[in-house]
Amino acid sequence: MQNTNLSQTSNRVLIVGGGLAGIRAALDLAEAQKDVILVDTAENIGGLMTQLDRTFPTNNCDLCTLAPNLSESGRQEHITLMPMTTLREVTGEQGDFIVTLETAPRYINLERCTGCGECFQAFPECVRFTPGLDHRAPTCMRYPQATPQAFSIDLATCADIEALVKVCPAGAIVPDDIGSKGNVACGAIVLAPGASLFDPSGLDNLGYGELPDVVTSLEYERILSASGPTGGRLLRPSNGQPPKKVAWIQCIGSRGLQKGAAPYCSGACCMFALKEAIVTRERFQEDTETTIFYMDMRTFGKDYELYYQRAKNEFGVRFIHSRPHSILRPEGAENLHLSYTTDDSPVLINEDFDMVVLATGFRIGEEARQLAAVCGIELNDDHFPIHTGLNQVATSRPGIYVAGTFQAPKDIPETMVQASAAACLAGHDVSSPDREQEIPEPLPPERHLVGEEPRVGIFVCDCGENIGGVIDVEALVARVGALPHVTVAQAAGHGCSRESMEHIRATIEQQGINRVVIGGCSPRTHEAKFQDLLRRAGLNKYLLEFANIRDQATWVHSHQPEKATKKAEELIRMALGAVLNAQPLAEHRLPINKNVLVIGGGVSGMTAALELAEQGLKVYLVERNAQLGGLASRIHRTLEGDDVQGFVADLVARTSTHDNIDVITSAIIVDHGGMPGLFKTGMQVGKQLFYRQIEHGITILATGAMPHRPDLFLLGRHEDVKTQLETQQLLEERPELVRDWENVVMIQCVGSRTEDNPNCSRICCQTAVKNALRILEINPEARVFVLYRDMRTYAFQEEYYQQARAKGVIFVRYHQDRPPQVSEVGGKLEVVYQDIILGREVQVSTDCLCLSTGLIAEQDNTEELAMIFKLPRTHDGYFLEDHIKLRPVDLPVPGFFVAGTAHAPKTIAESLVQARAVAARAQTMLASDYISLGAATARVDSKLCAACLICVRACPFGVPFINADGYSEIDPARCHGCGVCASECPAKAIQLMQFEDDRILSKLEQLFEEVEG
Amino acid sequence: MESFEPVIVAFCCHYCAYTAADMAGSQRLPYPSNVKIVRVPCSGKVDALHILKAFEKGADGVYVAGCLEGDCHFKNGNDKAARRVDYVKRYLEEIGIESERLMMVRMSAGMGARFAQVATEMTEKIRRLGPSPIKAAAA
Repeated sequence: MQNTNLSQTSNRVLIVGGGLAGIRAALDLAEAQKDVILVDTAENIGGLMTQLDRTFPTNNCDLCTLAPNLSESGRQEHITLMPMTTLREVTGEQGDFIVTLETAPRYINLERCTGCGECFQAFPECVRFTPGLDHRAPTCMRYPQATPQAFSIDLATCADIEALVKVCPAGAIVPDDIGSKGNVACGAIVLAPGASLFDPSGLDNLGYGELPDVVTSLEYERILSASGPTGGRLLRPSNGQPPKKVAWIQCIGSRGLQKGAAPYCSGACCMFALKEAIVTRERFQEDTETTIFYMDMRTFGKDYELYYQRAKNEFGVRFIHSRPHSILRPEGAENLHLSYTTDDSPVLINEDFDMVVLATGFRIGEEARQLAAVCGIELNDDHFPIHTGLNQVATSRPGIYVAGTFQAPKDIPETMVQASAAACLAGHDVSSPDREQEIPEPLPPERHLVGEEPRVGIFVCDCGENIGGVIDVEALVARVGALPHVTVAQAAGHGCSRESMEHIRATIEQQGINRVVIGGCSPRTHEAKFQDLLRRAGLNKYLLEFANIRDQATWVHSHQPEKATKKAEELIRMALGAVLNAQPLAEHRLPINKNVLVIGGGVSGMTAALELAEQGLKVYLVERNAQLGGLASRIHRTLEGDDVQGFVADLVARTSTHDNIDVITSAIIVDHGGMPGLFKTGMQVGKQLFYRQIEHGITILATGAMPHRPDLFLLGRHEDVKTQLETQQLLEERPELVRDWENVVMIQCVGSRTEDNPNCSRICCQTAVKNALRILEINPEARVFVLYRDMRTYAFQEEYYQQARAKGVIFVRYHQDRPPQVSEVGGKLEVVYQDIILGREVQVSTDCLCLSTGLIAEQDNTEELAMIFKLPRTHDGYFLEDHIKLRPVDLPVPGFFVAGTAHAPKTIAESLVQARAVAARAQTMLASDYISLGAATARVDSKLCAACLICVRACPFGVPFINADGYSEIDPARCHGCGVCASECPAKAIQLMQFEDDRILSKLEQLFEEVEG
Repeated sequence: MESFEPVIVAFCCHYCAYTAADMAGSQRLPYPSNVKIVRVPCSGKVDALHILKAFEKGADGVYVAGCLEGDCHFKNGNDKAARRVDYVKRYLEEIGIESERLMMVRMSAGMGARFAQVATEMTEKIRRLGPSPIKAAAA
């Protein structure tokens, strides 16, 4: 084995697992200028998400959302990517670990592989892929945007190694690869290996594995996926016909009721099933019926309840509260047979379906357990890492952190947030490497081109046989070399190889080339690389155009070489026309202000402030009330038994005394201006309302939510009616009162999941379970009734729910349209509810009525702040993040972040994760000394602008505004570069840099040059 | 007419359609070489001017390819593009060019096969329609 050659400083973070969590953590650390090694046992990073078709609740295409992250992580200079690598040993301690990494042989030189696929064409059996319902993507990398963009060879299946080596035009196949093993020092470790999925083949009643039309939810996802086995067509595996009736059965292998099931709830499967049902209705024939058999619909995430309602009301997905026991296919029948009962009647219903999807939950697989053993971290009974106190991402071993589904079952946004939080903590165990000494060659100054005639260099790759095998590159070069303004035209071989790049750079310098056309592959994958090359050759990197003659000509017209040649020439001519109109673009930059403004002094705000202050940043923590602490200071303990009061007191003490934190209480934000990195925010402070202005680079909103108190069920009219928050305080502060209680009734979803407030408050089910258990602890004789609609005790909370049932708490389901009735009879409270199972009304006289009223956004306050900061909110008044999946704590205005219940209702531990995630995201922005105002943005020519407001309305991001001089202004720091404004502008006063009108038009002119003449 | 080879311009958004074209390439899915791609950051960037310029210069057909509904990387640029294409189609009819020569299509980045299929169908359709009246007038 070779030795892995990495320098022995421990100033880096090891991330194990290249799924979404690992990639996110790596990017956050790298952007904060910390070094990272990202290892994954698979051939390419991407993890489970690459197998999904779309994601809830936006129904976005998954690859589209993941791909930008993947290509970024391949490029980042701080990230060392090590696929096919396993962590074998960990010694040392926090700040100073030594880890042993073992890399399996890939038999492919990653530097050379272009991902062309010749090896797979010739030897499909030797090229590795990840199996399972034929997950093989057509290119036989695991998915089309694979990173690294390279194959992997399974040498054991290869009979003729010599021929295999010869087939590779890039010479990238290395049959004598022996892998490598070596020790690496690192300061912290983030474990993000993900979870496996429950394998239902052991359950003989479901017929999985025997009946082809019974599939798991992930397999169904593959069937829907465009890169899946059916090319995105919904077909029954048994007969290839489109199914007319599809059923989902929830909680397979979760919530502990079947053979081999885990006790916890897998958290994400309800939404997963909803998404699949909606996509089925949306994409395929309207006449495909979709039915979901569920125990409790657990749509507790932000706006997830709305998604559930849409599935039911708009898409007509049928929901049946039942668990069919078995799936049978009678002899000779084509369809699957389900028997079930419903709430309304005890009669057994028989129904046939064409396909049944099993919603299989998360499991910690053997590989992840071994990883935990290697790292020496403790696991709970379900094999998930035990965390310390309220910090979900810290393990039992200091310096080792966890994120994603390995920590606990969860969905993508929560995975992303945890990954950022883990990056925050891991980043604190290492310092930024000193890059000054490492820069090998300083970049030459950019040449000034003013007055210079265009001198274009055209370099045409042959990409081995990929291009050269179809067209005559030399002849093509000769023809395009004769075009006007072309100084040099050359064949470049494998243009992206190190030798060719060096040759192109030298040619640019020697021949005084001032514009470059690359005829080769896709700018999506290679533009950045050649832009760097131009910059190293002293040219502005925007003086480059790509002609994608491989993907758009030789690969797709390989059977018509003449036509391919003609098209390749046309594409190069178009690129030439465009590059002649290219102009050098400057990426402006301004020095950044590194101070942080945190608004809100609850647990989220204080945690974010402390994390950033510990990194030496100056933090202003602004709180509206006279004291720090927020809502958590009214909570005594969590469901898991953590002491919240002590935790909050400690947090307040540390925050108030920290040298880098300036706590400003009794302060109200009144004005705000500036740009990301250079904000100014004004506030009025104290009784005198004296005005104070703060200069800061970023803003964190942690303004919280407030306890809901709807006027329902005699709340506020009878002293025995309390909210769960009040009940909880009573239980801790006056337990003696509870000892006399005979009956306690709790009602769930009071003021939540209603027409006025359609979302789920997320925290109430677990709070009810917590309080019910506590009541029984104080008074074991009490009878506790919980009247609920769906019990949403997700993840490990489920085990407390089961505990409460076991201890005799009576859980009764009620329908929204038949809510319990509460009245006062002789000073005592009477509750009447409809018992669905008994089919009759039940009357309970209760000593205490606890209402689960949840949280609501403080509309007035968030509206005010949203107006001052120009931030969007959800319909129910929470701040709306930039992208629910990709940027869950970033707000749409750059430099703004959100944490805690200001984002949506959540638990204290979840708020803390978000607070740390925000701290990590803030550090990515504050790591740089400058703010870069990107170059590919829209620019307004003020002389042409008529201030007609069309751009103001057209911009999807609300960036343009009419400035004091009376014309449209577009802040380059906020422009996303889509160009919608430019195309809508009737005066043509706006141009999108890099895609200016003359550049696009000259492409068209060049294309038709020959047609005309 | 048999030898008529139309020229078709496909404005493809970077995030979906252009990626789908790359996918068609890496899957070696053949489609007619008549289709020439112009890359734009977002289909919403495609100006009525660009479409008309293509026809003026001699294109026999033009299509704008953006992301699937709700998938636009820039929120809703694809919807704006679709509206603009509808508008330009009406305009084409007014000036005597068949509006079928212009089309808005949507696809995800993974839909290499759809890219090839659209390119093939568009080419066949334009071949049936014959050369653009503008080209005929110029000749």
